[in-house]
Amino acid sequence: MLKIIISGLWKDKFARMGMIVLAVIYLAILFAPIIAPYSKDYSDRSLAYVPPSKIFTIDENGHFSKPYTYNYVRKFDENNFNVYNIDRSQKHYLKFFSTGEDGKFHLVTVDKGGKLFLLGTDINGRDVFSRILFGGRISMTIGFLALFVLFPIGMLYGGISGYFGGKIDTIMMRIAEGIMSIPSFYLLIILASILPAGMTSVQRFLLIVVILALIGWAGFARVVRGMVLSIKNQEYVQAAKSIGASDLRIILKHILPQTTSFIIVAITLSIPSYILSESGLSFLGLGIQQPDASWGNMLKEAQIFSNIIYRPWLLTPGFLIFLAVLSFNLVGDTVRDILDPKSKD
Amino acid sequence: MKIQGYVLSVILFLILFAGACIRRDVPQNITENSAQTETLSVNEYPVNRKNVTINGVDYLQTDAPVGNFGGTLINSTIGEGPKTFNPFNSKDATSSTLSDIMYDGLVTIDPVTGEYIPKLAKSFEVNGNDYIIHLRHGLKWSDGKPITADDVYFTWKNIILDGFGNTSTRDSIAVEGKLPTVQKLDNYTVKFTTPKPFAPFLASLSTPIAPKHVFEPAVKKGKEFFDTFMSTNIKPNELVISGAFKLTEYVPAQRAVYKRNPNYYVINSKGKKLPYLDKLVYLIVGDVNNEVLKFEGGELDVIGVRGTDVPRFRERQKKDDFSLGNLGPDTGTMYLSVNINDRKNKEGKPYVDPIKQKWFSDKNFRTAVDYALDRENMVYNVANGFAKPLFTPESLNSIFLNKSLRPYPRNLEKSKELLEKSGFYTDDKGRLFDKEGNRVEFTLMTNAGNTEREAIGVMVKQDLEDLGMKVNFKPIEFNSLVNKLLSTYDWDMVIMGLTGSPLEPNGGKNVWMSNGALHMFNQRGQDEYNIGVLPWEKELDYLFENGATALTFDKRKKYYDRYQEIIYNEKPMIYLYSPLRITAIRNKFKNIYPTSLGGVIHNIEEIYIDKEDKNGNP
Repeated sequence: MLKIIISGLWKDKFARMGMIVLAVIYLAILFAPIIAPYSKDYSDRSLAYVPPSKIFTIDENGHFSKPYTYNYVRKFDENNFNVYNIDRSQKHYLKFFSTGEDGKFHLVTVDKGGKLFLLGTDINGRDVFSRILFGGRISMTIGFLALFVLFPIGMLYGGISGYFGGKIDTIMMRIAEGIMSIPSFYLLIILASILPAGMTSVQRFLLIVVILALIGWAGFARVVRGMVLSIKNQEYVQAAKSIGASDLRIILKHILPQTTSFIIVAITLSIPSYILSESGLSFLGLGIQQPDASWGNMLKEAQIFSNIIYRPWLLTPGFLIFLAVLSFNLVGDTVRDILDPKSKD
Repeated sequence: MKIQGYVLSVILFLILFAGACIRRDVPQNITENSAQTETLSVNEYPVNRKNVTINGVDYLQTDAPVGNFGGTLINSTIGEGPKTFNPFNSKDATSSTLSDIMYDGLVTIDPVTGEYIPKLAKSFEVNGNDYIIHLRHGLKWSDGKPITADDVYFTWKNIILDGFGNTSTRDSIAVEGKLPTVQKLDNYTVKFTTPKPFAPFLASLSTPIAPKHVFEPAVKKGKEFFDTFMSTNIKPNELVISGAFKLTEYVPAQRAVYKRNPNYYVINSKGKKLPYLDKLVYLIVGDVNNEVLKFEGGELDVIGVRGTDVPRFRERQKKDDFSLGNLGPDTGTMYLSVNINDRKNKEGKPYVDPIKQKWFSDKNFRTAVDYALDRENMVYNVANGFAKPLFTPESLNSIFLNKSLRPYPRNLEKSKELLEKSGFYTDDKGRLFDKEGNRVEFTLMTNAGNTEREAIGVMVKQDLEDLGMKVNFKPIEFNSLVNKLLSTYDWDMVIMGLTGSPLEPNGGKNVWMSNGALHMFNQRGQDEYNIGVLPWEKELDYLFENGATALTFDKRKKYYDRYQEIIYNEKPMIYLYSPLRITAIRNKFKNIYPTSLGGVIHNIEEIYIDKEDKNGNP
């Protein structure tokens, strides 16, 4: 089935684009330490809010040259924004596939003394490009973690409820509805204030995501239950029953596999919502906290009004969130089309 | 066909990519344009006020330029809006601002010199412990009843001294547990007597005076009723006021609209009753960004500008119709506090890990931390340069500032020297250990969601890591942070801010006295008073007790100079910076004389709208 899905995805133009974008993002965050010119905590605070470095390939005499960049120097003036002037006294040549100043191997780095800020810097003079790569590691994987919690619970609960039916079904479904009606946003705000402060922000955030997943499975379980209700009357289920298979075995081996197509669709379509909730929560100060990076908390800096206008490079994490979520949705939509027999033809 | 399409798009992509990569290096002449913008400043307040008696009424006459009547000024307040309109119940800044407009106090602060000058009182005399207040004759509440000594006596005796509403005024004037007394001498004279000479008492006389005939029934119903009296549900026409403006409309979470009091006792040099403005509106806005947008959209007339926004405002100023003023350092201070608490809780567990206690109680350690901090870049990056590095607990505009305490730059060498003196050492990886071989590692906290403090936290973390310390920086939710600071005491270092009065250091006694409610760096619970008080804490207690009871400014200054010197040397709280106060106000308003102590609209009754300007720009 996986093969069908992948070949189907590749045939669809939009899904292909989505897959390529996602592949690029995941490869980039996987190789973040190599691609990023700096570590996520590197900072040069005399260079806060520096605009992206300009890279030149034709020198001032009009000749082609190895790509090089100039450093910025801060000229502080009380009446203006920090003005960064290009220091033309020294060219800093870009080096590819070599060791940087931190002694580690980097895809692209710059001569000693030079600074390469591909997407500018933030308020603490940290490289936005590097932080985006490291921050993506959190933002882009958090959704999967939630799914690992949510789906097994939802499937099993829905399966049992649908299979046994009757009173058990009624009771289990009422409980699920009760859980669905917990207002998750308020729950999070309360949680944020009572969680022990000894946790690191990543641990804390993982916990929040797990809790979100623990109240988020109910809706999913209801759909599974509906599917199981129709599947359990199929002949092969009757057959399994008559040879004496246990109830749990029937649910796990014979009924739940029939819901796979729905589950794959549900997974691909719910990852983006977790990416968005990460950025939302970090933006509100409930998620990943400084100095750790995530796309949401990096975007928070752009919340300051004048930053949007004068330092647009701080908005790049927002753009990436948009891209990632869009791609997941494109892929998810196509998977649904492929697996849904009615839309085939 | 299809392949051709692909090839074409690949080629197009390559061209675009190459186009983005190939950039010619064209040297530009750096244009120097900073010389054109003048530095921000404000005009001095040239106005004199004197008492004049016309037809038996004691007016307060101002010689500010005469303007024309009418118009509206729209101000704003950030947050959820007021919780009450009862000036004696207010516990937050918004509620006090919005209720104090309606009620004048006996005295007020001179916005230029910071001295206390008569307001609702015609004059006052201070003889040792006695404060004799002469009231103005012929003043009336907004319902026509006269304002007399009965109102003053009632306000002080039955509301403030009896502990109704917010008791902070009463708490601040208690001298060694004893309260001042109040006496009515005649219909227009009241005498206050403090148990000991007590200089800060004069400041508390700026508390509003309540109309007895309105407040008395509420006071008779008890404290519980009083706490709900004049809540935000009150009908505006039930209010009886003495101030320049009276509430006419309050829409929760949107606005509070005030109308001019036609019987106000301030008159202009032609004898006309002020204020000039017809209406004063406070819009309630959610956050600072919202406020800035509203100002730019023309919905607000006056705004306090954050350092980060100043350059944008300067740019807009050229096209827009407002002007900016720099009022100098604000009263807010940003600091890093170290928990030097060495006591144990009821279960016998130390509040702070004993290993860390040793570092934190070591003066060399604290001084090393101080010298490692890069205040200059904090000012540049976080406040966009609109702040000043700070080294003393008094804010830079305080009249009690000890100017002999010099600022110093970052000095890592000195820090390392001091650490070495206390037996700390670094290993070959640059990690710092104490003399028992424990790695120096602690947590630095601040309240989450505050971009400014989070950025400072990141900087402090890096600064201290230059010394080899391991700092875990953790922004946490505000209420849990306060809980740690004030009741569980399980924290190491914290970045916080406080505001104080630039005129009255006695307000800081809750921070500096050893049993103060905000003595956070060595907080004592009620059963721990007088336990483990350090010698310099004892001296601080002594200084604050005597600073409050000394009467002349020079005598008091000596005590408060010494207190600042102790903090400067002992560094339980390491001060970082104090932001500058920048404000913007529309040009159509005249008689605008912002001051550091009073703000922009301290003389709200004198402010008027220039008609010519109005017609000129329809």
